[in-house]
Amino acid sequence: MIRRSRLLIVASMLTWPLVAAGQQPAAPPRAVDGVAIDPDAELIVALADDTTNMDPRIGMGSIRSNYIRQVFEGLVDVDAQGRPAPGLALSWKPVGELTWEFALRRGVTFHDGEPFNADTVLFNLDRFFRRNLDRWSIKDVLAATQFEKTYSFVTRWEKVDDYTVRIHTSEPAPTLWDFIGREPMVPKAYTVKNGVDGLNDRPVGTGPWKMVEWKRKTSMLFERNDGYWGTHPLFRKMRFQTIPEGAARIAALRAGQVGLIEGVPPFDAPALGQDPRLKVAASPQKLSCRLYVNGRPKDKYDSGGKDGLFSDQRVRLALNLAVNKEAIIKKIFNGYALANASPVASVSYGYAAQEPYPYDPARARTLLADAGFRDTNPLTLQLLFPAKHYGQSFDEMTPAVAEMLKDVGVQVTLKPVDFATLLQTATKGTLPPNGGFAACRTGNNLDADDYLRDWGAIAMINWAPYPPELMALYTATRREVDAQKRLRLLADLQRQVRDWAPVVALYQEVKVYAHSARVLRFTPLPELNMDFRGVAVKK
Amino acid sequence: MRAFLLRRALHAVFVLWGVVTAVFFLVRLTGDPTPFLVDQSATQQEIADARRHLGLDRALHVQYLEFLRSVPRGDFGTSIREKRPAMQMVLEHLWPATVELAAAALLISTGLAIPLGVASATHKNGLVDHASRLASLFLQSMPSFWLGLMLILLFAVELGGLLPAFGSGGVRHLILPAVTLAAAPLAQNVRLIRSGMLEVLQQDYVRTARAKGLAERLVIYRHALRNAAIPVITVTGLSLGFMLSGAVIIETVFSWPGMGRLIVQAVPGRDFPVIQAGVFVFALIFVGLNLIVDLLYTVVDPRVRLT
Amino acid sequence: MIGLARDQSAALGLIVICVTVLMAVLAPALAPLDPVKNSLVDRLTPPMWNAGGSAKHPLGTDTLGRDVASRLLYGARVSLIVGLAAVVIAGVLGVGLGLLSGYYRGWADDALMRLGDVQLAFPVLVLAVAVLAVLGASLANVILVLGVTGWITYARIVRGETLSLRQREFVEAARALGATDGYLLWRHILPNVLPPVTVVATFSVARTIIAEASLSFLGLGIPPPAPSWGAMLDEGRNYITTGWWLALFPGVAILLLVLGINLVGDWLRDALDPRMERGM
Repeated sequence: MIRRSRLLIVASMLTWPLVAAGQQPAAPPRAVDGVAIDPDAELIVALADDTTNMDPRIGMGSIRSNYIRQVFEGLVDVDAQGRPAPGLALSWKPVGELTWEFALRRGVTFHDGEPFNADTVLFNLDRFFRRNLDRWSIKDVLAATQFEKTYSFVTRWEKVDDYTVRIHTSEPAPTLWDFIGREPMVPKAYTVKNGVDGLNDRPVGTGPWKMVEWKRKTSMLFERNDGYWGTHPLFRKMRFQTIPEGAARIAALRAGQVGLIEGVPPFDAPALGQDPRLKVAASPQKLSCRLYVNGRPKDKYDSGGKDGLFSDQRVRLALNLAVNKEAIIKKIFNGYALANASPVASVSYGYAAQEPYPYDPARARTLLADAGFRDTNPLTLQLLFPAKHYGQSFDEMTPAVAEMLKDVGVQVTLKPVDFATLLQTATKGTLPPNGGFAACRTGNNLDADDYLRDWGAIAMINWAPYPPELMALYTATRREVDAQKRLRLLADLQRQVRDWAPVVALYQEVKVYAHSARVLRFTPLPELNMDFRGVAVKK
Repeated sequence: MRAFLLRRALHAVFVLWGVVTAVFFLVRLTGDPTPFLVDQSATQQEIADARRHLGLDRALHVQYLEFLRSVPRGDFGTSIREKRPAMQMVLEHLWPATVELAAAALLISTGLAIPLGVASATHKNGLVDHASRLASLFLQSMPSFWLGLMLILLFAVELGGLLPAFGSGGVRHLILPAVTLAAAPLAQNVRLIRSGMLEVLQQDYVRTARAKGLAERLVIYRHALRNAAIPVITVTGLSLGFMLSGAVIIETVFSWPGMGRLIVQAVPGRDFPVIQAGVFVFALIFVGLNLIVDLLYTVVDPRVRLT
Repeated sequence: MIGLARDQSAALGLIVICVTVLMAVLAPALAPLDPVKNSLVDRLTPPMWNAGGSAKHPLGTDTLGRDVASRLLYGARVSLIVGLAAVVIAGVLGVGLGLLSGYYRGWADDALMRLGDVQLAFPVLVLAVAVLAVLGASLANVILVLGVTGWITYARIVRGETLSLRQREFVEAARALGATDGYLLWRHILPNVLPPVTVVATFSVARTIIAEASLSFLGLGIPPPAPSWGAMLDEGRNYITTGWWLALFPGVAILLLVLGINLVGDWLRDALDPRMERGM
């Protein structure tokens, strides 16, 4: 009888070459789907704007995510359908009610060779929650999301071993994997040595691309990270070129000066699609555009003693019924938008489709009359509208929506303001009682909670705070650790929020890309960033 | 000469001080940049913290004095949007982008104007004369950005990308924006040179030179043009300032990464340091150019004393 | 203009201006439709001589279904009002200050000229953008901004003329006879100053109309939905290929109006003050 230890030794000797082969970078393939590709190609991608920072902590709006997520990644990755997938963490699970455990991927290094391990994660958590900054002697940065305030229930974190981290909370936190997991990780030794400014100017991450050169407001050059742990992009270099005008991007694509463009104006898409040298690809995005109307009680804003005119749910529902979303989607977005009655984006984890708001102006009028607004006492709305901030289609849509509201008897005054003024008004709470504003809500995280938390605490976008029963249901979703139960609670909450109608839902964005037919296997993500892993360029 | 230069230097410093003071208070009147930096669901407390981080919660005169102290060092603070030195950002956009554009436009608007204006004057009422006067009239009557749009439509779209319609990166990219920017000043200069030449050509000393048997070309270029040049220099000096300002629109239409566009975009973004640095650089250039124009006068017309 | 005498081209310019004024005044009667009401259904219909166009919208509709012809007519009002009002403000301010500055001289004169230098060194567009950001964009504020930034040109010219005029004999004589300063300024100096001012003012109207169009093009002028030729150009610029009529008609309108004004200005300059530099 062979001793078991000898069996084990033989077995491992036989399997070791297989394991080793799996860990070596394979020779880059020369063809995909039977088509010859150029592994040394440079792909030029045209975007509407440059990023203002590369340090993920400073902020990651829709433009910046594109740049940052080529170089950096988080514990949780996303697949092409927008579902969470293992990233820098192989798995994550709750341990009891108050702890999450992340098992980290091994053998990952940053672009400068520094290894990724539990120490890296602890350092990053310190940065998120602004602890021990003097211990690392790094500067604090003004971050867009302040973790220590928004997620104050996260108490401490520790490493169990070099590849396992535990994070403890003071109350159950079913979405911790999301808000922690989606934050990109930065290298510890590099950041401590070069400071946060160095990290911002010369970023070093674990992602599929290394940043090679950054000409502000013009272009950023990336080179493939040949030591990347996941699927490699199948071409060597990539340049993100800033071309602000949509028509200019299209001209550049047609002329062959760039290989892929984002932000295709919706009415140009069909013509591009008919060009045999080009392909158009689209994906719904986590960008929901709405009218936020003043439904706050008088003690919660600078009110002059009056409750917001839109605190009556019937009024808000009436406005939702008055907007002809199909017409908007067809005429302004050429079909490249979605009507979504759920407050949660259709591509978020936990989304439950809701019955759409019908286009019913007659019923809208009835509801308004029930709420006391008739011809003799019409409902007025001063709508702040950030022109030239969200793009051409948004600027066209808002006056069209205003006209639809006028058709049911609402006296709408459109007030174009610049975005800073709108932010200021919303932040300081200085909307008038009959005020409202048009704005779009992006989501950086995967979970539905990212949207549903809007109406919890008083903040600049919360103009219709949850009534007690909805608040209770929302709190329950934040505490339910069992995934299935939580999904049911989320579905219930979305249904009730749909009926309660805190905002006038307008549309959810569908992002349109166009690329040369020589670019193969490009799939747009439902995320804010583009993913070039597995993409190839034909020879 | 030295007294003149000293006086002009003091005057320049005064003007620059006036400009930075004006822009300092003006931008602070436009509002508060902090809401841009925080999350959509930020609370009042978080926003107050952000203001403190930026140093915007201190008393206005404190901020002003600190600003004045740091200006001579070239320190205009850190851009709120891009988190790096504001003056560095402005200079990166000035050179090479805006300088290239302005220089090219200047070259076209003066370089082309001289032969056209001279030809117009010497062959008065001829074909060249009528054609250039008509063209000048039209070019001075249209908004520059409309001209730019029509040129884009013609060259970049209709003629299938003969010339690129966006961005910078080579002489080809420079042609359309420089031509658009140069159009109105070119028209103006042609008319100026023409009328100046016409006046001068009737003068006694020109007739004398011709009578003496001097070659026509010498008459024109050595004697007449020199005198006709004075109004051109005045107007070029002024139009340089106009060109730097007008470059903003051209930069927007053609997505040219210049300084003008940077400043104008910084205003809605309330990026105070960038606006302050940009306006200062602009004023510096303007004041410097005026000084050069004044000095040029002495070269061209020795009758002008620098009083 | 080719072969036409200067008088004839000025007459042509005058006709263009009068037609525009008539269009503006009679807009409510002439305009086929409401320029502000939008209608998604009619969005982006081409002019009536193109396929897909209709007589209902002779010059087509814009991105929100508004009638382009009506907007052109009402837009004439905006251009004319802004052009005239801003120049009047700048003129009154500039002439007044220039007269006082040139006549009384002293520290007020110095201060005013220094202020002018500072304002000139400030990039005009940035100033306009910043002031409008503070005050908010509206017709009144745009007029205010364009008016107040324009005073310097008039002030300088008037100051120069006043300086030389105040030394002249007729002024000395009048003063010897007991004339007050006010009387002198009003009766003797001002009339002499007006001719060059008129010429400058005429060209200024043209420049202001273009400046308003530029501000609207940058998105900073008269806010939507008010029809302004500059704003129409801005809306049209994203649709150069698919909606060429949106950018063409307002551009041509501005061109013709400004051309007419420039022709009249040329004629005025020849008539009133031939000493002035041509080409301005």
